[in-house]
Amino acid sequence: MELKKFRKKSPWILHYNTGSCNGCDIEILACLAPKYDLERFGILNRGNPKQSDILLVTGPVTKRAKERLLRLYFEMPEPKVVVAVGACACTGGVFRHMYNVENGVDSIIPVDVYVPGCAARPESIIDGVVKALEILEKKKKEIELPPYCKVPEGEKLNRRKLLERCLEVINAGRRS
Amino acid sequence: MEKVIYSLFLLPWLLALLVFVSPFHRLRQLITFLSFPILTYLSFKVWNLKLPLFITPPEWVNLAVTLFDYGLLLYFLYQGIKFRNFLVSVLAAAQLFLLSWVLLIIPHGETPPIYVDGLTTFMYFIVATVGSLICIYATKYMEQEDLDRENRFVAALLWFLGVMNFAVSVNNVEWFFALFETTTLASYVLIRFRWDSVSISNALQALWMNQIGGIAILLALLFGIKYYSVYSFTDILKVNPAVTSMIPLGFLAIAALVKGAQMPFHRWLLGAMVAPTPVSAILHSATMVKIAPYLILRLSPVIKGTLLAKLLIVTTGFVFVSAGLLALTQDNFKKILAYSTISLLGLMMLTASMGSPTAVLASLLLILFHAVVKALLFMEAGVIEKLFKAKYIEEIRRLVEKAPITVVFISIGFMSMTIVPYGIFMAKWLTLEEASNFLSHGAYVGSIIFIATGSVILTLLYFKVIGVMTRKRGEFMRFKLEKLPFIYLSTAGLLALFTIVGSIFIAHLSADFVNAVVASISSSPAPVKASGLTLITPLSEVYGWQIIGAFILLLIVPIFAYFVHFPEVDRVYEYTCGERVETTLGTYNFFCVSQVEPLIETAAVALFIITLVLGGGLI
Amino acid sequence: MNWEALVFTLFSPVIGGFIYGLERVVRARMQGRVGPPVLQPFYDFLKLMDKRSIVIHSFHAFMGIMYLVGTWFSLYVLLSGGDLLIAIFFHVLSLAFLVVGGFSVRSPYSILGAMRELLHMVAYEPLYVLTAAGLYLVTGTFQISEILNSNEVPLFVLPLVFVSILLSLPTLLKKSPFDIAEAHQEIIGGPEIEYSGKFYEAVYTAKWIEYVYVFFLIFLFGGGNHLLGAFLVLFAFFFFNLLDNVTARVNFRQMVAFHWYVLIPLVVINLMLLALWRG
Repeated sequence: MELKKFRKKSPWILHYNTGSCNGCDIEILACLAPKYDLERFGILNRGNPKQSDILLVTGPVTKRAKERLLRLYFEMPEPKVVVAVGACACTGGVFRHMYNVENGVDSIIPVDVYVPGCAARPESIIDGVVKALEILEKKKKEIELPPYCKVPEGEKLNRRKLLERCLEVINAGRRS
Repeated sequence: MEKVIYSLFLLPWLLALLVFVSPFHRLRQLITFLSFPILTYLSFKVWNLKLPLFITPPEWVNLAVTLFDYGLLLYFLYQGIKFRNFLVSVLAAAQLFLLSWVLLIIPHGETPPIYVDGLTTFMYFIVATVGSLICIYATKYMEQEDLDRENRFVAALLWFLGVMNFAVSVNNVEWFFALFETTTLASYVLIRFRWDSVSISNALQALWMNQIGGIAILLALLFGIKYYSVYSFTDILKVNPAVTSMIPLGFLAIAALVKGAQMPFHRWLLGAMVAPTPVSAILHSATMVKIAPYLILRLSPVIKGTLLAKLLIVTTGFVFVSAGLLALTQDNFKKILAYSTISLLGLMMLTASMGSPTAVLASLLLILFHAVVKALLFMEAGVIEKLFKAKYIEEIRRLVEKAPITVVFISIGFMSMTIVPYGIFMAKWLTLEEASNFLSHGAYVGSIIFIATGSVILTLLYFKVIGVMTRKRGEFMRFKLEKLPFIYLSTAGLLALFTIVGSIFIAHLSADFVNAVVASISSSPAPVKASGLTLITPLSEVYGWQIIGAFILLLIVPIFAYFVHFPEVDRVYEYTCGERVETTLGTYNFFCVSQVEPLIETAAVALFIITLVLGGGLI
Repeated sequence: MNWEALVFTLFSPVIGGFIYGLERVVRARMQGRVGPPVLQPFYDFLKLMDKRSIVIHSFHAFMGIMYLVGTWFSLYVLLSGGDLLIAIFFHVLSLAFLVVGGFSVRSPYSILGAMRELLHMVAYEPLYVLTAAGLYLVTGTFQISEILNSNEVPLFVLPLVFVSILLSLPTLLKKSPFDIAEAHQEIIGGPEIEYSGKFYEAVYTAKWIEYVYVFFLIFLFGGGNHLLGAFLVLFAFFFFNLLDNVTARVNFRQMVAFHWYVLIPLVVINLMLLALWRG
């Protein structure tokens, strides 16, 4: 049996707020409430990275949040997708280039779907999640690394070592 | 025939003497080791004799026992005055007075003072196996503690075994009093062994509390002579309590409750933990406190169904639950074990006071398995104290990484007190099904509630401790067993082996072996049968495949779990919301329970008095 | 060997999965939502199979699998028609694996959850033992196969016992108001938090088997009248879903106090009055 097609039938969500104003977060919760009812797609908000498939990130990623975001990302088992919800999560939004933010989620972890809006509307969040499901179906089970985190050829690192390597890079501030 | 019985009393004393005078550690160990095969062989010989057996020793023994009594009580009085302990001296003086009175009015009976039946032999077996294993263990333990005083210590333990053998085979209540007080003396001497201020004060506490039991026996003797003019257990069993007074029986029951460390007299058993660990092991498992259920079992045919028995059920059931509750608040490993002993002693007496053959069978199974398991657990407590320098359960955190064998032993011990296929569970199950026949009696409904609640509280307690032990940081990368001294390993291993084998063959054990003892106590055996591993009771059955299945799940699988590795699987850290935090994980100590401790003690005192006043017919 | 029971036990995850799927739909409808398809638990199951596995350490992961095996075994003990009390205590055995697994990782949530799991047991275990005694009082046997063939209907003479079992169902299945061991908003699933992928799948399936276990206990109240038993199961299903939807979580003291001081006295009153009446 092809197990891949069941990925999009039961995506479980982890929702993480990286310093957002809570506007997008309220919209995400609205999606789960009776009016939009995301559960009809089998979507559950697990609140636990180890059992989740979709990471919904809001907020511009403050300096304090970047390490947490990376750790949560590494605790999620592959295949997984990341959805950046809201203008701040996509680009940094009104906070872009401020001293305390990292200009969007994709500067820390690879992002698959960007959902714009300030705050993003529930309809567009649902649209984004459904788009993410299509990507999820095609994903492989290899560990996905952020672009700034290079592993030299021939070196075999386990998950914990990879996380530490990436943490080293983002804490040193050297990223292209 | 009589020689076998006498040698069961005297041989441990002889061995004790030999140990005391022998100059070399190895020699002492060898002599101590001899006690195990010799005592077991002798018990086996007694088992094969034609029971019950009445023995009349020469007349001078009676005089000697009386003189010994006086000497003992005068020694207690002296200790009370020496340590300026008011209670000890007053109680000793009161006992001297009561004893003199008893001797004045005691009639000359023809009943032989020594009576050996199935129950006695059963106790011989426990003393011979568990007791001598603890003595063997003690030689190694003392080597690590204080080699100079090893000979005294081991000699005292061995002497204690002889006393215990004697105590369970007397028929004359006056002699029983003498031996009861001797066990008190033994506990006093052993608890005091380290000679520091805490030890001495705890030993004095044990002394005065146990003397209350002595007074109760003397009162029972007085009233027994007054009302029935009998002073032997076999004669008491012949009287009909429905038409005569319950007072002597009430007092004997009180003596049992005090000796069995039931609340509110539980503190002396908790205080015993200041002594070296083998003392706790021997007090809690093989000897001493087992006199309490023994006494109730002796009386059970005559008190069965009376108000006294029902009140005993409620009192001991209450202790079973509340001692378990109080154990939740403790963080000292030995204290947890002590509380669970108090709790399980309550259960043994509960089943003994029910008195029906099935309940008596349950009580005997409880005595047997509890002796084995408690000895095992205390041995392991000694091991973690000596080898891993841990006394509190906070300190045994992650023990599984350092000491897998010890953890397996402790887990077997803990699980065998609560979970399905083990002997103690079977006893609880038999009791529950027995009590379900009498749902119109409040005491029996109460006993179901008490057993169910108490055992689930003990489950909570034990898994709390197992949880602390098995917590670990990561994979077993380099799996290695700890190095245990051979004596520690073999004694504990034997006990664990017995727990497991005995539980697997529980059907045969209870139907063929223990049931013979039941028949000697309550005139008819319990209606249980064994077919293969399946235990069949009149109401239902426990199938062999259930027992085997549970054992595979409980025993083989967790050991197997040490060796299971999932190599191709990623490792991650625990979920801490993405934070990098160093956590110090403790355990929950149920402070909410310690608030109600005064209430529990008040209730226990009230129940105690009610048992004496209403059950004894003082009203 | 009881083949019927064996087959039923083997298929119990399927049945339990359907029950769980139905539960999610019913709950959604009660909240005015559409809800997921009935087969949703099986989709979850198949998806979890496809995930990359991550574990804390092997011991922990293995305990998750053993929880599934233990629960399965305890269900077979129940269904094979043996002693009811033994079957109830086998349930403790299966929970032991979840608890030991929960304690074995250095995660505060997991340890809290395992401790609360034990507190759940403290709450409901005495109640179930008393219920077994009550069923014995009515039917005269502890053998489940004989209870199911008896002429008596336990429900009619043990109404208060049934009510207390109904009210303690959420404790056994960890549903609101007594979902303190799982408490998704508070300790994120408790002892199951650190499982993931295939290992979480084992824990997830074990929970479905527990549904079958619990509803079979309810079924026993119908006695020989199996139709009534089935109706009781249906009623219990809707009732605890309703309860789940309309109540908030209590703390563990309230839970234990409710079971000990309200439900156990109810059961005792029923049992003693009945026993006295029958003499």
